[in-house]
Amino acid sequence: MSLCPRCQSANDQIRTEHKGLNAQGELVWTIFHCNACEFSWRDCEPAISIDYDTREAFFRIDPKKDYPVIMPPAQYK
Amino acid sequence: MNDDRKPLSAKAKEVGQRIGSLRDFLEFLEENGQCVTWSDEVYPEPDIRNVAVAAGRDANTGPAVIFSNIAGYPGKKLVLGVHGSFTNLALLLGHPKGTTIKELFYDIISRWGDDEPLLDFIEPEDAPVNQNRLTENFNLYELLPLYRINEYDGGFYIGKANVVSRDPRDPDNFGKQNVGIYRIQVQAPGEFTLLSVPAHDMGRHIMAAEADNVPLKISVMLGNHPAMCMFAATPVGYEESEFAYASQMMGSPLRLTKSGNGMDILADSEMVIEAELMNGARTLEGPFGEFPGSYSGARRIPRFKITAISHRNDPIFENIYIGRGWTEHDTLIGLNTSAPIYAQLKKDFPEVVAVNALYQHGLTGIISVKNRFAGFAKSVAMRALGTPHGTMYLKNLIMVDDDVDPFDLNEVMWALSTRTRADDTIVIPNMPMIPIDPAAEIAGKGHRLIIDATSFMPPDKLGSDSKIVTPPAGPEIDEIAKVIQLLQNGGKS
Repeated sequence: MSLCPRCQSANDQIRTEHKGLNAQGELVWTIFHCNACEFSWRDCEPAISIDYDTREAFFRIDPKKDYPVIMPPAQYK
Repeated sequence: MNDDRKPLSAKAKEVGQRIGSLRDFLEFLEENGQCVTWSDEVYPEPDIRNVAVAAGRDANTGPAVIFSNIAGYPGKKLVLGVHGSFTNLALLLGHPKGTTIKELFYDIISRWGDDEPLLDFIEPEDAPVNQNRLTENFNLYELLPLYRINEYDGGFYIGKANVVSRDPRDPDNFGKQNVGIYRIQVQAPGEFTLLSVPAHDMGRHIMAAEADNVPLKISVMLGNHPAMCMFAATPVGYEESEFAYASQMMGSPLRLTKSGNGMDILADSEMVIEAELMNGARTLEGPFGEFPGSYSGARRIPRFKITAISHRNDPIFENIYIGRGWTEHDTLIGLNTSAPIYAQLKKDFPEVVAVNALYQHGLTGIISVKNRFAGFAKSVAMRALGTPHGTMYLKNLIMVDDDVDPFDLNEVMWALSTRTRADDTIVIPNMPMIPIDPAAEIAGKGHRLIIDATSFMPPDKLGSDSKIVTPPAGPEIDEIAKVIQLLQNGGKS
């Protein structure tokens, strides 16, 4: 797995979360998480969810952008 | 006190006594043909989503679906659609299949309130939820068969957890302890984000904890008594207990115990995740396919760290399909959204007959009212907009006469066709509105529409010479309709 399917962050931002095994202990799929945009995905999902070019551009995330903050932390006001 | 209160039927009492947990209810649904097991292998995506949507198409009779063979999750079970149909709700309340939505509405009204709570407290070591307890190395990805609910969700969501929190400024107050359903996105094996807003009870708890810089501990209950889920999703008063409402509705005690971090929790839930707010932390969350049928955007929201997990042997993960309606979300909360609006209106206007706020958590509501004088229904509509739920949700209101069943859309359409004048509608601009209304020009503000589809009264002469046909109606005809249905089904209900 090289780039994040949602924000295209590079490999060093992507961590392996969990490996799903079958009853025989064989690998079935792997879950990844992007530290930059917080997207989680499984490598066996349909392309519409995990392929950057297939995904609708509307759902791309730019980790550098300011996203709305729900209930801004009180002590930092 | 609720004037509509009625004693429970013998059958309702029997069901209340029998059902103490999700497992009991699944067994009961199965006996009644309302729970099926999908034993073929499914992949988490897109198979679970596909089956959930197909099973949920029939809002009246769709079954709960247990998934017992999920690739990569050997031995794990997932259940969806437990509250996915009105038949499932009817069975929970001790009614037969074929009970109408209107009958269920009046039954819930007759049980409404929290003044007769039935709560049994048992020791934590005797609680089934504590059969297994983890205090380190948490991994939600391993414990729960997680999957992406809708294809553009930002991650794997827990959509039907009942979250318990205490008011950090009044931690010993049982009533202010809140039980609510909030969307939870797993952000790491032992951490998650939870979306609440200042208007929610939970939002108040988060803001108070951060302002005072004190810990906020929560218990996330998964796989719960079916009545608990209905009330966790119901906006009851801040000082009212959802546990009390749920037990009163069942007419039978709920078994509570203490979680490891001091919350009151259901002793028979499948799993309880204890967690603590990471004060000041905000993490990018979403999008998530929400109940209006559209995605809510990405935002930075509060984050929690898991401190312990208790679970039954072989826990069943209960989740929900939510998105463009009709979905389980609509059935789960529809009647419990309608009931408090009715109860509040009825106090001032006894002419109100029924309230249908089933659609998208009440974004559209239909109110049946007996006109006291010309224009009366519009005054009732204005009052509905001023109820706690109406303030943020009731966007479109259709007012119908007392001879129209607001839960029967064919009757509502008849009223719209025959009793509405285009210039007798009201638009109130720039009112408060839930931020996730997809039609909003500015998120958080919106216009309200009132359509008066009640008949005209003196001094208005319009329509006064039209005489309405009165086909036979009432309980006798309802019974005949059920007999015909029985005949059609070869004698089986």
